[in-house]
Amino acid sequence: MPDPEKRFAEEWRDAAYNCFSSGHKFCREVCPVMQVTGNESWSPTAFHANVVAMEQGSLEVADVAADYVNCTGCGACELRCPNSLFTGDFYRFRTRTVDLVKGVRSLAVRQEVHQPAWRRWNELTAERTHEPVADGVSQERVRDWAQGLDLTVGGETILFVDCEAAFYRPSVPRSVACVLGLAGYGFGLMNEQWCCGGPAAEMGYEEQARRFAEHNLADWRASGVRRVLVLDPHDYITFTEDYPKYFGEAFDIEVVLVVELLAALIREGRLAPHVPVERTVTYHDPCRLNKRKGIWQEPREILRAIPGLTFHDVDRVSQWSYCSGAGGGLAVEKPELTAKISEMRMGKAAELGVDTLVTACPWAERPLTAAGEARSIGVVDLHELLAESLGVAP
Amino acid sequence: MTVTLGDPVVEELRRILGHDHVLTGKADRLNRTRVPAPFPVHRWAERMPDLIVMPGSTGEVAEVLRLAHAHRIPVVPRDGGTGLTDGAVPLRGGIVVDVKRLNQIKEIDLDNRTCTVGTGINALKLNEVLSRHGLLYPDDPASYPCSLVGGRIGTSGWSLIGSRYGHTRDLVLSFDHVLPTGRVIHVGDGIGRKITKSSSGYQLKHLFMGHQGTLGIATEATLKLFPKPEAEFSPFWAFDDYDSAYRTVGQLARAGVATFAGAVLFDEWKVAYLRRDDEAYIPQPASVKALVCAALYGYEDEVRAGGSRLMRIARSMGARYLGDEISQGDWAARHDRYATPLHGRTRSGQVVPMSWHCEDASINYTNLPAVRLAWHEIADRLRRASDVFDDWGMFAYTNGATGADYLTEIDIGIWEQRLDDAAWAAWVSAKRDLAAVALAHGGSISACHGSCREGEVDLVPEELGGGFDVMLAIKRALDPHNIMNPGKYLLDRAYPDQDGSP
Amino acid sequence: MSYRYRDEMTPPPPERASEVAVTRFEHVYEVDPALMTEHVTQQTFPNWDTLRLVRSRAGHLAWMHAHFADKVVSGEELLDDLDR
Repeated sequence: MPDPEKRFAEEWRDAAYNCFSSGHKFCREVCPVMQVTGNESWSPTAFHANVVAMEQGSLEVADVAADYVNCTGCGACELRCPNSLFTGDFYRFRTRTVDLVKGVRSLAVRQEVHQPAWRRWNELTAERTHEPVADGVSQERVRDWAQGLDLTVGGETILFVDCEAAFYRPSVPRSVACVLGLAGYGFGLMNEQWCCGGPAAEMGYEEQARRFAEHNLADWRASGVRRVLVLDPHDYITFTEDYPKYFGEAFDIEVVLVVELLAALIREGRLAPHVPVERTVTYHDPCRLNKRKGIWQEPREILRAIPGLTFHDVDRVSQWSYCSGAGGGLAVEKPELTAKISEMRMGKAAELGVDTLVTACPWAERPLTAAGEARSIGVVDLHELLAESLGVAP
Repeated sequence: MTVTLGDPVVEELRRILGHDHVLTGKADRLNRTRVPAPFPVHRWAERMPDLIVMPGSTGEVAEVLRLAHAHRIPVVPRDGGTGLTDGAVPLRGGIVVDVKRLNQIKEIDLDNRTCTVGTGINALKLNEVLSRHGLLYPDDPASYPCSLVGGRIGTSGWSLIGSRYGHTRDLVLSFDHVLPTGRVIHVGDGIGRKITKSSSGYQLKHLFMGHQGTLGIATEATLKLFPKPEAEFSPFWAFDDYDSAYRTVGQLARAGVATFAGAVLFDEWKVAYLRRDDEAYIPQPASVKALVCAALYGYEDEVRAGGSRLMRIARSMGARYLGDEISQGDWAARHDRYATPLHGRTRSGQVVPMSWHCEDASINYTNLPAVRLAWHEIADRLRRASDVFDDWGMFAYTNGATGADYLTEIDIGIWEQRLDDAAWAAWVSAKRDLAAVALAHGGSISACHGSCREGEVDLVPEELGGGFDVMLAIKRALDPHNIMNPGKYLLDRAYPDQDGSP
Repeated sequence: MSYRYRDEMTPPPPERASEVAVTRFEHVYEVDPALMTEHVTQQTFPNWDTLRLVRSRAGHLAWMHAHFADKVVSGEELLDDLDR
C-alpha cells in the first residue's frame, strides 16, 4: 500500500472502525444519494469500510475515488448515525462522514487521481478567483450585484456573497442588502473578495482551498474587518469549520449567519414585514443549516412573520432525509444525480399542494427550480421573500 | 471455494439488468460482505462475492436465478444487510442479489387495510406515507429505520411491539417468491394476496419466511395495516433486585391488557452497562439494580385504562416509576436500538470500539433466571480471558400477549480490531455454549435473528430433530444444485454426493 | 447567534457526575476524559456541536413518538389518578 493511504488509514482508523464495527446503516435511508440509487457502494457505511480495507492493504484510493463523488456533504448520515445522535456528545467522538469524504477526495487529488469535471472546475476557479457558475465570472465583476445600492467598501462588518449568489442569483444579496439597510444595520462590502475556497476543499483541491482562505483572511485583516455576515449556508460551513481548522486560534473573525440576524431583527421589532405575500409555501431546510448546524428555527420564525403566507411546514427531523442534491460538488461531476435528488425533494413539496418552495440556500435554488418547472412549483429565496414583505424588494 | 464467473455470464447478466446494475468492482464486492454481527475482519477476503446485481423487477430476479441455476453459481440475497445472523454474508462467492431497487409502493388498499410493496422498502419510510392515511405497518425491530421488508421475510423477524400487533410472520400476508430455479410463485395463506386466513393446502408462507435466503428471494409483499395509534404509554420502573423485576414483568405480561404491546426486563449487568454512558441511568442511585418497561398502544381511553392497571400492578410489586422524561425518552430510542461501538471497555475501563453481538434465544418465563446465570457465566469466561470481549448485560422481551416466552438476549461486545484466529475460535465456541444452554432449558436457539452463524448452527439439528431431516429434503427438492446461499444452516448435508459445492 | 473561535473552543469546566462521567452543560453528560486516553482519543468538539447533537437527539425522540402515535400518555398523571 502506498504511504499516503497508510497515513490516511492511520488517521481515520478508529473513526472507520466506529462505523465498520457497528454497521447499523441508519444512514442509508436518509442519504440522498442512497435514496435515488440504492447502491450500497456509495453509502456512508461503505465510505468508512473502505478505510478499513485500505488499512488491510486491500484497497487503494484509485480503486474508490469515483465512488466518493457520490456524496452531497449534506450531513444527514453523520447526524442520524447513533454514534453521533445517541453517544457523539457523550464521548466527544462522532461520525464524520463529511470530513472523511473530503479527506478521501483530497487524498485522490494528491495522488493525481482526478475527476474530470472537478478538475476543470477548479482550474477555472483558480483562473477567475471565483467558481465558474455563469458566463462572465471574473474578479472585476464580483460586486456587480450591488450596482446602484450605494454600498461602501470596508468597515468592521462586511457582507460576504458566495459565487452562485453574486454571479447567478444577484437578487438574493440585493435583497439582503436592502433589508439590512431598512433595519439600519451597517455593513460594507469586502475589499477584494475571492471564492471562500469551500467547494475546492469539498472536491479535494485542498491546497487551492487554503490559498483562497489565506487570501480572504489577509484581506479582512488588512481592512480591519472584525465581523463577516454570511448569507450562504455553504460559506457559513467554510468559515466556521474549514477556516478554524486552517488557522486555529488565529482565526479571530466573528461569523454571523444572515438568517439568524434577520430573525433577531424581527424579534427586536427592527423589521416588521407588512406587505402580504399571497402564496402557499413549504420550506426547504438547507442541509448545511438544518443537519450540519442545527439551524431550523430562525427561518421558520421569519416565514411566520410574513403576512399572507399559507405555510405547510414539514418538521426538521423529517427533512434530515431531504436534499437538493446541489452540494459537495455532485452537481458539477454528476448533474444527473443532482437532478434526481432535486426531483425527489420537489415530489415531497408537491404532495403538500403548495405553489412555492422557499429555501435559504442559493446553491439549492438552481436544481430545485429546474425540478419545480415540471410541477409548476416556484422556488423563492427566503431573503427575497422577506424583502418583498418589507416593501424593499430590489 | 470461490467460483470465478466467466465473462459470458457477466455479459448475460448485463443484458438482463443493464450495465449499471451489475457491479464487479473491488469496493462493490468488499461492501457486500458483512452485516452488523461480529465479523472476522482478518478474514474479510473469504466472504467476498464475485459480483453484485441490482434487479429492478421480479422478472429480472427470476432471470438471474435461472441463469445461476443453469451455471450452478451461488446466489446470496441481500436486503438491508442489517441482520444479526449471517444470512446476507456470502460464504462461497457468487452473485449477491441486492433488492434495494425494489422499493416501490405498488398499492395502498384502504378498504381491505393492506398495502403491496417491493421488498426493498423500509418500514419507517413506508409508514411516513401510510401515516397520511392514518395507518401504520407495525413491524418494529431494533433496525426499524434501516431494515427492509425482504430481510424481515428472509429472517422471519421479531417486532418490539409484536405482543400487540404480531411479528413479521403475522404482518406479511403474502408475497411473490422466486424459487432457486427461477420459477416465480405466490405464497400466502392459500393463494390469495390479501387473505389473512386460509386452510387450503400446505401452509407455505411459514416455509418461505426465515429461511435466510436458502430457498429463494421474496420480491413483492402484501402487508397487513392497522390504524395509527392515537396514544402511546411506555412506563419504566426501577427495582432493587432482579427477582422483584422478574416477578413484576411476569405479572404485567400475564395481565391480559388488550393494548399491551410488550414488556422488557433489564438485568443487573444491563443496568451497570447503561451507567457507562446513558443519560437516563448515570444519575440513578446505586440501589437501582434492575428495570422493567412496558408499552401500550391504542385509543387514548383504552391506553389510559390499561396503563392504570399496569401502574397499579407494578406499584403493588414494589416498583418505582422512573418518571415521564426517562420513560418517554428511553422508549423512543428503542425503535433504533443498535448498540454503538464506544460502549466497549477494556477491563481497566478504557473506551474501545466494539462490535455488538446480540444472542437471542426464545425462553419460557419460568426458565429466564436460570438461563440468565448460565449465560453470564459464559460471557464472564470470555471477558476474563481477554479484553476483546465485554459483557453488556441482558434483556428479556415478551414474545407475545400472554407472557409464555421471551426473546432473551445477552449483548456481548467484541473488539474487532484485535480479533485473531484464537479469539474468533473462543467466540464461536462460546456461541455454541450459549445455544446449548437455551436448548437445555427447553428454548429455541433464536427468537428473531436466525441461527445460522458459526457455533450455534451446530446445534440446529439437535433443536429440530426429525424436522431438520425434513429441512434437508425440502432444500434438495427446491434447490437441486444448492445455489441459494450455500453453506448456511448445515444444508450442504442435503447434497452428500456433491461435497456441498454447487 | 454568532460564531467566535475562542468561545466555541472553550467548554464549560467539567463537574464530576459519576465514577465514569462528568457534566459540562446542564443535563448533558460526558465520559470522564481519562477513559479515552489509550485506545480511542476524543475529537475536537466545539460547543455548538455538542449542543447541536443534544438538541437533535431531543428532536429525534419527539419525532419517533409522533411517528408511532398521535399523543403520549403521562405515567405521572396515571399515578396521581390512582392516588385519588
